[in-house]
Amino acid sequence: MEKLELLLPLAWRSLWRNPRRTIITVLVVSVGLWSILVFAVLLEAWSASSRDTTQKMMTGEGQIHAAGYLDDPTIANRMAPLEGALADILKSDAVKAYAERVRVAAIMQSEYRTLPITLTGVAPAKERAVSVLPDKVSKGRYLENAEDDGIVIGRNLASRLKTRVGKRVVVLVQDTKGELAERAFKVVGVYAASQQIEDEFVFTGLDPAQKLIGAGSGISEIVFDSSDAEALPSLVDKLRAAAPALDVQSWETLKPLAYAVSTFFNEFIMMWLGVMFAMMAIGIVNTQLMAVFERTREFGLFQALGMRPRLVLMEVALESTMLIGIGVVIGAAFAVLSVMAFPGGLDLGFLGRGAELVGAGRVLYLSIDISDFVRYSFIIWALGVCASLWPAWRAAHVSPVMAMARA
Amino acid sequence: MSVIVECQGVAKKYRQGQIDVPALRGLDLALEEGDFASLAGPSGSGKTTLLNILGGLDRPSEGEVRVDGVAITSLGNNALADLRLRKIGFIFQAYNLIPVLSAAENVEFILQLMKTPHKERRARAVEMLKAVALEGLEKRRPSQLSGGQQQRVAVARALASRPAIVLADEPTANLDTKTAEDLITLMSDLNKSSGVTFLMATHDQRVIARTRRHIVITDGRVSSDERRDGAAA
Repeated sequence: MEKLELLLPLAWRSLWRNPRRTIITVLVVSVGLWSILVFAVLLEAWSASSRDTTQKMMTGEGQIHAAGYLDDPTIANRMAPLEGALADILKSDAVKAYAERVRVAAIMQSEYRTLPITLTGVAPAKERAVSVLPDKVSKGRYLENAEDDGIVIGRNLASRLKTRVGKRVVVLVQDTKGELAERAFKVVGVYAASQQIEDEFVFTGLDPAQKLIGAGSGISEIVFDSSDAEALPSLVDKLRAAAPALDVQSWETLKPLAYAVSTFFNEFIMMWLGVMFAMMAIGIVNTQLMAVFERTREFGLFQALGMRPRLVLMEVALESTMLIGIGVVIGAAFAVLSVMAFPGGLDLGFLGRGAELVGAGRVLYLSIDISDFVRYSFIIWALGVCASLWPAWRAAHVSPVMAMARA
Repeated sequence: MSVIVECQGVAKKYRQGQIDVPALRGLDLALEEGDFASLAGPSGSGKTTLLNILGGLDRPSEGEVRVDGVAITSLGNNALADLRLRKIGFIFQAYNLIPVLSAAENVEFILQLMKTPHKERRARAVEMLKAVALEGLEKRRPSQLSGGQQQRVAVARALASRPAIVLADEPTANLDTKTAEDLITLMSDLNKSSGVTFLMATHDQRVIARTRRHIVITDGRVSSDERRDGAAA
């Protein structure tokens, strides 16, 4: 305490002896930390958006298929209706929601065009629990139940087919016997999502889809979300054990690109932190060396008056600690304000389509992770103080005679 | 009178390129408690080198130096720093106050290093500034004080730790005549009232005239050591 009582006022006032240099250093640290924190928030938002887009559109946190379906997604590779141990696990507390689907490649024909699609038969009540697409209907309505024989198509597909709600389209599929089956559906709704999804997926009730392709009660896939994302790997293991003949996969395996994007961002944040720190360290060391050089005589005086070299080192280190601390506090405060400036999320605007192409949403929802903020701020502060130890060591090793001899 | 500072055969050589340049050549000197001494000699005679060695700022190449009974030549850096803090007061030509501290804080700085309790050191700082006639200027920073006032603060700082000896290097060199005379009177009075030994390296004849002992160094040795008990008061 005595040492702090001696060094604190000395260090604080010395800091403001050259306000311009102090302000520049504070700016370097605060802008650097601000960029790290805001980047971390943006990348995490992008990562979360990418993960959510992947999981909440069609994939879920995991899927179950018949063996071979992922390599050859035809109705020939279908599963029996849900039963036994598998059903018990999917209905347990470990699973937040699940939904069965029929999913086959098909052709959709309007009066004007014929386009390839994926016909997806769903049970709407269950589907709502695993996918946000039912809530993305921009015109008309979503399906009402598993027997609903209306069809919901994507906005871009509707545009390309030049069709709309209330009109009829024809769907052609290969049935379980390998024969072509076709049926006219009335368009009851148009949904808005990413262009890729809008073009590919069309939805009808599970029953009409099963009837069209002659699948009986067979299904193509079961989509599930876990109650605890951290426990997803163990849930997948349990499901595999319960149904060894089926293919159970988590979203990381089903969507490796989205998973890679999600993990890459974490590494990118650390890389950015390293780059920014290197730049800040150069600035801090340079500034502190300049300050030490200019005050060589003063450090010599301290020692001449009886201050031990270790106290001189502590004094310079304390200056750096406060200098970097101010920068860190300002940088973190501006980062918080920057994030709070977008309470409704950051709309990527004209970049939105591009974001969708790489799996993210048009709007990134920014949120502050306190532990991340504290961690990155502390790392920058601690590394900055470490970088300043060299100038401090030099100050502590100034020879009093040499220093006092300086003009 | 007890001996406060004692030098025996002190030599100091500086290396300049390939050549050793002697600054002190086997100097012997003893300063007694209460001495008020001036140290004179031509430029390059070794005055400042001797002050640096006596003050524990530099180490002799040869010889023995004792300050208040402590042989300082064998002390480590920390022990030397402690010795400077407790036994030696410095007054520099360029005042050398700490610019970010007020007059009182400059005096207190030494006492803080000595871990003197807050109340006691504040009282002592006020007392010392009063003794050098700077009452009322305690809160002024060095930049707000004249040269003479700054040197008075330096005197107060040098005496704050109640040192065994005060070493002053050209203390009046940067002061005008009146201020210089006032400072000499002040130091003389403090020497008499406190009994602290003063050794002042100087060219200033007014200072020399007021000291009771006058030491002259020539070519790194004491060439004259004159005691003048009837020096001007």
